Amino acid sequence: MTWAGTLLHIHVAPSASVEMEELAEARLIPGRGIEGDRYLLGTGTYSQKPDIREVTLIEMEVLEALAQGEPKIPGLKAVVDPADHRRNLTTRGVPLGHLVGRRFRVGETVLRGGRMNFPCPYLEELLGVPGLYEGLLNRSGLNCAIEAGGVIRRGDPILPLAD
Amino acid sequence: MVPRLIMKLDVAEVRHEPGDVLLATLTHPRRPLLPAATAGAHVDVHLGDGRVRHYSLWGDPADRSAYRIAVKREAEGRGGSRRLHELLVPGASLMVSAPRNHFALPETGGPVRLLAGGIGITPLLAMAQVLAAGGRAFHLHVFARRRATAPLIEEARRRLGPGRVSAHLDDEPDTRVALPALLAAPEPGAVLACCGPAGFMAAVRDAAAHWPEEALLFEAFQPLADESFVPEPFEIVLASGRRLAVPADRSALDVLREAGVAPPASCETGVCGSCLCGYRDGTPIHRDVVLSPRARRGRFAPCVSRAVGTLHLDL
Repeated sequence: MTWAGTLLHIHVAPSASVEMEELAEARLIPGRGIEGDRYLLGTGTYSQKPDIREVTLIEMEVLEALAQGEPKIPGLKAVVDPADHRRNLTTRGVPLGHLVGRRFRVGETVLRGGRMNFPCPYLEELLGVPGLYEGLLNRSGLNCAIEAGGVIRRGDPILPLAD
Repeated sequence: MVPRLIMKLDVAEVRHEPGDVLLATLTHPRRPLLPAATAGAHVDVHLGDGRVRHYSLWGDPADRSAYRIAVKREAEGRGGSRRLHELLVPGASLMVSAPRNHFALPETGGPVRLLAGGIGITPLLAMAQVLAAGGRAFHLHVFARRRATAPLIEEARRRLGPGRVSAHLDDEPDTRVALPALLAAPEPGAVLACCGPAGFMAAVRDAAAHWPEEALLFEAFQPLADESFVPEPFEIVLASGRRLAVPADRSALDVLREAGVAPPASCETGVCGSCLCGYRDGTPIHRDVVLSPRARRGRFAPCVSRAVGTLHLDL
């Protein structure tokens, strides 16, 4: 697969429901998560439900599609700021839907796609955007494991790796 | 319970008010508009040491640029307001939840009497501003011991205009009014909203005993004081059928927590409504001050309320 993407934003939150905070750079700890983030600290909404959730990613293209709106399915038109979707990394030019089970590079680190993220009514209620749950179905991003840790920075290239 | 965003807000402005009250204006460093509040709503303020306190928003709910809270320093309290008086410094930041409302006025109806005792003026001032903007008839009555210690009266007059605020002050005899006389004749469809210390609200309740129950709205910010209550053991049955024994010296919330099924809790004194859950069957002994008589038919506050025999919870 040939593609080349970019890391646009890095966000973490110290615990469930606390607003995300933007970082210029962050340290990824292999097998655990992002320093300062709830899923490394075990204080996330879903921390008690073990799964691959060390880092979560979403495509900027999805947020742009939501902002543009799709009148037929299901009529949602909403501006979701990168600080509000509660995924850690916002990407551009990365085909997240194709990366389940695949390894890829973010700056100096290596991630492995775990499973597609599934949107939660929790987010819809937290942000007060009715219909956001349906609006994110099938494009809610990718939950990843960290294979090789290190520091990631805003603007880092995101590149495929041969398996 | 609906989850609420917890935001790190800036303390933009702090002002002193009579009665050892600090007025704080809280703004978001990034968002020009805060999550919307309805009149009567409160926010949870996180004190940074694990404690959380609730403060009513007294600003105009139409103004979403800031949350305005009033914090009375309670020298004899549990220490939350004393700590908050230290934390409320311009330029500081504070973790604050999005608002929630247990004290909402019905949107339709007749004229509204707003009865405030002391610092209890806060949610009523928010209501008054909405009523004024909507052209609905209302009057705000503020009861306090002395003018020198009564917060927000001038602010209310400034925001609401002349003829809409009456201050009834113990130390100014010509301003005093007897509650039974004030509440003697409710207009058709009239609504009474009241917030203040427990003794004040009990007096209002007595004076409004002839009003229809659905016309009365009370907000307590102090837990129920009832020293004669003797807790008895009871039993909880969860939706799964699991049975839990609640001993006399422990709260239902405690027991639910130990079983790993507790709802999120905050004040643990029956005031805030965070831990409310539904019940399907049984005879609860309600000891909270947040549920209305109607809501008590199906809801239960496990932090303070108990039951006779067996209570089936929707958990």
